[in-house]
Amino acid sequence: MTEARPISPEELVAAMAGGDSGRALSAFYAQYASTVLALLTKMLGSPAEAEELLQEVFVELWRRAPQFDSSRGSVIAWVVTVARSRALDTLRARKRRHGDRQFQYQEGDALMTERKRPDVMASSTRWHQALRQAFQRLDAEQRAVLELSYFQGMSHGQIADTLKLPVGTVKSRILAGMRSLRTMLPIIHRAMKA
Amino acid sequence: MKVEQERAELLAALHAAGAASEEDEKELEALLAADPSLVEVVKDFQDSIAALASSFDPLETPSKTLAKIQTRIAKEKGGILSRLRLWFSRS
Repeated sequence: MTEARPISPEELVAAMAGGDSGRALSAFYAQYASTVLALLTKMLGSPAEAEELLQEVFVELWRRAPQFDSSRGSVIAWVVTVARSRALDTLRARKRRHGDRQFQYQEGDALMTERKRPDVMASSTRWHQALRQAFQRLDAEQRAVLELSYFQGMSHGQIADTLKLPVGTVKSRILAGMRSLRTMLPIIHRAMKA
Repeated sequence: MKVEQERAELLAALHAAGAASEEDEKELEALLAADPSLVEVVKDFQDSIAALASSFDPLETPSKTLAKIQTRIAKEKGGILSRLRLWFSRS
């Protein structure tokens, strides 16, 4: 008798690439859907829109599974990249409908601010807490540029206009912020194992 | 060489943060092609930002969403199969 080995995320994606829209897709969805929904809700600020987009994101992940290349990044990085990209499409479409009003950045708009929702899962674990504590250590200036670039989809030029900073300063802050995040990876990995 | 690595690190950071311009992306691709070891720099930054993006408290998903996704995929699969059948019947 051998114990069933847990299936890795890469194996799930490979099975989806092979056309498995049953067990593999269900397991993949169980693993990532609540995280994707949280990200979409934060980016869009609308739970209804986020829930609608959740479907689109997973259909797209299933379609793109054959192109996933583990040598270029992890499964979670791929999942959040696709989700972010779809959320930015929705934000851009919303902007086209409602006009391109000048975005005013205020610290705290941003996505690091946690508002408790009744549907937050009880499984919000030490891993999420450890991550948030790690990110709170980021310098406020670095956090601002990362929030505008990653969560609002702004280029370095747009961030420079919004924050009234030279482009070179914006790039330096992004690099410094990314370096700080990278130093947190061991903490993140420890939290994942805990 | 050190200057090139620093440039690659900056471009990788801009890429992972979603702030790279088209020119930045092309330059990064060229540097990666010349030195494949730089892929690790990109991966580390991507993992870092992915951790940031997945740090929000997970939310309960609506109960019927998975079934809706599977229905849509089944329709797509059906569409592909019927196109393949049509193609084989003609050839």
